[in-house]
Amino acid sequence: MNELSPISPSVASLLVVLLPFLACVVQALLGRKSISGNISLIAIVSSALLSFFAVFLPVWGNSPMAERITWFTIGQTSFEVGLLLNNLTVLMQLIVCVVAVPVHIYSRYYMKGDSGIHRYWMYLSLFCFAMLGLSISINLLQLYVFWELVGFASYLMIGFWFTRDAAVQANKKAFLINRIGDLGFLIGIALVYSHVGTLDIVALFDQTGRFVQGLTETGGLQVVQKDNTWVTLAGLAFFLGAMAKSAQFPLHVWLPDAMEGPTSVSSLIHAATMVAAGVFLLCTVFPLFNATSLLVITAIGTITALSGAVFALAQYDIKKILAFSTISQLGFMIVGVGIGAWDTALFHLATHAFFKCLLFLAAGAVIHEMAHFKAQTNLDFDPQDIRNMGGLRRYMPKTYVCMSIAALALAGFPLTSGYLSKDSIVVSAYEWASTAGGFYFVIPVTLIIVSLLTAFYIGRLIFKTFFGSFAMQSSVTAHNRPHEAPAGMWWPMSVLSICCFFPVFGLHPLAYHQTWIIQTFHARPGFTEQETAHLIIPIVLTVGTLLALLLGWFWYVKNRYPISQQNRWIRFANRQGYLNEFNELVFIKGTVGLSRLLYAFDRHVVDGATKLFTWTTQQLARLIHWFDANIVDGIVNWIANGTYYMGHLVRQVQNGQLQNYLGFALTIVILGILYLIIK
Amino acid sequence: MGLLTILIFLPLLATLLILALPISVRNSYKYIALAFTLLQFALSAYMYSNFDDSLGGIHNYEGYQYVEQLPWIRLDLGTIGILEIDYFVGIDGVSLPLLVLSTLVMLMGIGASWNIQKSTKGYYALLMLLNMAVMGIFAALDFFLFYVFYEVMLLPLYFLIGIWGGDRREYAAIKFFIYTLLGSVLMLLVIVGLYFSVINPTTGAHSFNMLLMMDPANYIDGSFFGFISNYHELFGVPSRWIGFAVLFFAFAIKVPIVPLHTWLPDAHVEAPTPVSIILAGILLKIGGYGIIRVCYGIFPDIAANSNYWLALIGVISILYGAFNALAQKDLKRMIAYSSVSHMGFVLLGIASLTAEGLSGAMFQMISHGFLSAALFFLVGVLYDRVHDRYIYHFRGLASIMPKYTAYVALAFFASLGLPGFSAFIGEAFVIIGAFNAESMATGVPRWMAIGGSIGILLSAAYFLWTLQRMFFGKIRVKGGQAWQEALTDLSRREQLILFPALALALILGIMPSLVFSKINASVLQLIDLIQPYL
Amino acid sequence: MISITHFLIVSAIIFCIGVYAILAKRNAIMILVGIELMINASILNFVAFARYDSVNYGGQVFALFAIVLAAAAVAVGLAIILNVYRHYKTIDPKNINELKD
Repeated sequence: MNELSPISPSVASLLVVLLPFLACVVQALLGRKSISGNISLIAIVSSALLSFFAVFLPVWGNSPMAERITWFTIGQTSFEVGLLLNNLTVLMQLIVCVVAVPVHIYSRYYMKGDSGIHRYWMYLSLFCFAMLGLSISINLLQLYVFWELVGFASYLMIGFWFTRDAAVQANKKAFLINRIGDLGFLIGIALVYSHVGTLDIVALFDQTGRFVQGLTETGGLQVVQKDNTWVTLAGLAFFLGAMAKSAQFPLHVWLPDAMEGPTSVSSLIHAATMVAAGVFLLCTVFPLFNATSLLVITAIGTITALSGAVFALAQYDIKKILAFSTISQLGFMIVGVGIGAWDTALFHLATHAFFKCLLFLAAGAVIHEMAHFKAQTNLDFDPQDIRNMGGLRRYMPKTYVCMSIAALALAGFPLTSGYLSKDSIVVSAYEWASTAGGFYFVIPVTLIIVSLLTAFYIGRLIFKTFFGSFAMQSSVTAHNRPHEAPAGMWWPMSVLSICCFFPVFGLHPLAYHQTWIIQTFHARPGFTEQETAHLIIPIVLTVGTLLALLLGWFWYVKNRYPISQQNRWIRFANRQGYLNEFNELVFIKGTVGLSRLLYAFDRHVVDGATKLFTWTTQQLARLIHWFDANIVDGIVNWIANGTYYMGHLVRQVQNGQLQNYLGFALTIVILGILYLIIK
Repeated sequence: MGLLTILIFLPLLATLLILALPISVRNSYKYIALAFTLLQFALSAYMYSNFDDSLGGIHNYEGYQYVEQLPWIRLDLGTIGILEIDYFVGIDGVSLPLLVLSTLVMLMGIGASWNIQKSTKGYYALLMLLNMAVMGIFAALDFFLFYVFYEVMLLPLYFLIGIWGGDRREYAAIKFFIYTLLGSVLMLLVIVGLYFSVINPTTGAHSFNMLLMMDPANYIDGSFFGFISNYHELFGVPSRWIGFAVLFFAFAIKVPIVPLHTWLPDAHVEAPTPVSIILAGILLKIGGYGIIRVCYGIFPDIAANSNYWLALIGVISILYGAFNALAQKDLKRMIAYSSVSHMGFVLLGIASLTAEGLSGAMFQMISHGFLSAALFFLVGVLYDRVHDRYIYHFRGLASIMPKYTAYVALAFFASLGLPGFSAFIGEAFVIIGAFNAESMATGVPRWMAIGGSIGILLSAAYFLWTLQRMFFGKIRVKGGQAWQEALTDLSRREQLILFPALALALILGIMPSLVFSKINASVLQLIDLIQPYL
Repeated sequence: MISITHFLIVSAIIFCIGVYAILAKRNAIMILVGIELMINASILNFVAFARYDSVNYGGQVFALFAIVLAAAAVAVGLAIILNVYRHYKTIDPKNINELKD
């Protein structure tokens, strides 16, 4: 299909990356003079078009391409940067572009009138640059660079409204937790580098790479033994990186707080793309993982999926529900990687990117209109709290439809893309468990439960927001009432909602094996397929989903809610399992306490030692001074004084009194006589 | 007269000129200083561009460039022989980047001194004297000459802190002076010991030439620091160990390492902004440079065996400095402690004895040079305006001083190792090098590398905390309305100084080869020198 | 029997009284008296020891000679005292200290 594009895929993909960067620079230079966002929009649209026509179409399904240039040389080793275009990277790049375009359009309306909007466009373009660069990096070091830049852009975006304390607390938290992951990534890189001597992804992980098993006999390259301890450690280190970025338990705590950023940003960064970078990384370095690290990955993924879903059940903030939902779905993807079926993980990543982005955009529209309503009526309420909504179906029908489609996709309803991708993971997990046997069935069972919980909480969100009666009904007048979102906002949403259906990914509505993503990647996981699982699990999931939705309908729409809000379990889920409190108490207080302690140590002991040394020297100096003044100089003075006093004494004799002279003379004579007598 | 001599002694000319001019033209002093420093910078840039990358230097006379060697002192001492001291200067990959850095940081320092009013004549004269000494230290290859420059450097600094400093300036100046002198006096003993152990093969006299000291063949058999058949011991410790330890101690005070660092926070806090900039930007690097050039060059056998302890000290410095920075309430003190932490990376990298680690350490020195200079300058900006730098007294500065905040945020992120900025390359390669040390069997275990990487996390913690605490949130400053009016945004001059530093951080972060290509040959040469003893 | 010892004791007593007068008296005349007493004590010794020179009577001759001398000395002494008194309006030797260093 090369004839479609006049430029080579490598150049095109480079342009895809650089255009947003250029937009960022131009926007930074123009500053407040440019607030329309057209620069960023044009850049991302061109990137998306290039990415699809000039990169994706020629590369997808064909042999990979790689371009490298030497970045710098240390010792005898050259570090290279470059582009790697294979199925994985071009798919990732395409997803990022395609999701970013609607978000850009949406943002023009959503952010209109904000005083910092020039910064907004700058940050958004910076993020796109970093994310697109991340997707096609050829070197792990280069990947790490973009990996951190993505975190930096996320930091800027979360703290976009920097006068809000909650926002700046949240961005600090997000960056620090991501830093923990980055350290894992860096340690992984260092381990790989020091054992294998290269960081080139092709040399390491490609079909002929040093980590791919099955090629031990072929080729001159020495293939790494995967049961080495360091391989396990490196795998876990990379996974730590992915855990932080993809919000895996227990490093997920930053993501709910990150919802302090603008909703359009949450949809792009914290739902569709950046959080998926962890999954992308795991897929990239997949050959590195051995059985031990994969098992850990699976376990963490399952815990994340479950805890995310449980916490989502009891949230009231519409964005936090979605955030926990994202965490839970990322857990699914991680499980997909962990069981070896990383193609299903990528497939879920792709479908999730669309429907979760849509969910956020729709939630943003709702929040936007609620905030608008709040401003009109001068009421004081939280526009993000679903308890203040209800019945919005009447006021915002288009938003309602879009959001419902996305919700169905998330719940895994047949005919939607979510159905395909979620089934693919659950079925694979089941097959994996039946190959491994016994205790491993915990994982597919948990995933099924989580799927049902997912259907329930997303149903709760939809029902509480759009059904029933509006909580602020009393304030609604003919003039002041919630409106439909502006066209510029719901058009992108409707485009995304089309992407939530199965035809985008495959022609068969129920069989995930026939989707083009799975077919192209075709990972070869080490377990056998089971026909029965393919039949039974989708049925269980669909029926369960329907039941869960029905339950939600009865509880929330029909108001037959059976549980007290003060229930301990609900409070537990609402407070996110008290993890934040735990972290605050243990890690933050601990670190701060340690730092204070060390500073006290520094001041009193280390500097104290200096001061003690000074003091001792001074005292010694005083002592010696005393010795010098009183002993050494004392002897001299004593002799002088003695002579003086003697003279003074003798001087009395010479007083001019004749009688005295005579008396002395006599005394001496007498003494002399006495002497003579005694002798 | 070669280029290097001109580079070294240009500032001395400036000092004389400033001293000669009458006080009535006091406004011209700063322009003179600026002009001479600019000239120096141009010279160093010329030297950089004409530097031959392929030459290594270190212990190899032919590997040095811009070499000048003139007999300086020749004294017939009768039975002891002839006292042979040379004026011997030259640069290799280790010293070239530091020379360029020094001229640049000096420029920043002059720019930061623009508003100094107190007896400018003395100030600029001392500053230029300091400039000369620093250049001399980086270029000297004769140990005696090196020592002379090393001591000359102390004098202007003492007065610069002691006269133009803050409230406790005398205390800080004396503390700084005594600390450094303690190291250098001990160093003198070792220099003399080395002098009597080394013979110049061409003249047969004892020599102070550092390059001769690096060649085991030049040592007299059985001499105090001799390589072979050396049974000298002091308190049960072999004499070469003592020599290494003493020299390391002298330079470690400068780096500074924990627990010899306590002069640094005091000196930084009390020093005026330009002196802080020079102190952090250049003088700390003399420590790292000395360890590489002198300790490792002259005692490669000990370097190969002691690196476990050096790395341990490095890791402790990293973590200890970072934790201390986290506990600070004074912005300048925080940055001073962050310097301790960042210089710990230099030591860790040097001790790793791998090409990656050593290059990373060199790069970290360069990067920390202008980043810490920029950070101290930024603190100075705030202090200039309201004479306060207590972190809790500010909040929401981003709304008052947007440009300033942008620069601070950039400098903070650059310092905490954001990729794209130079500190990242330095720190990442120190960590990678330290990891690699186990594969190379140089004796630095992996847990130290992991410990070092935790320092990166902590640096993010204290920088972000400061950023959040001082710059974000609603405006609330201690001085109320008066402060809000006093806190004007960056002036054109201030931006002119900051921009190059941060731009350089960015350029080096994107194109690290600018530095790596110059130092690579020297780093390999150094490893070759040490490798046989591992 | 009165032996020579008795003379010598009386003479020594007189001599001592003379010495005392010279050393302790605040009056120049009394000092002069003390000097006379000492001279007389010595004269007494001369006379007493003259017993052993019965050929020439040297002792007696010397005694007469000394008496004449003493009379002359007293005359000179009194004259000095008189002059001193005129000059200093006192004859206490403590106050006559202008010759002191």
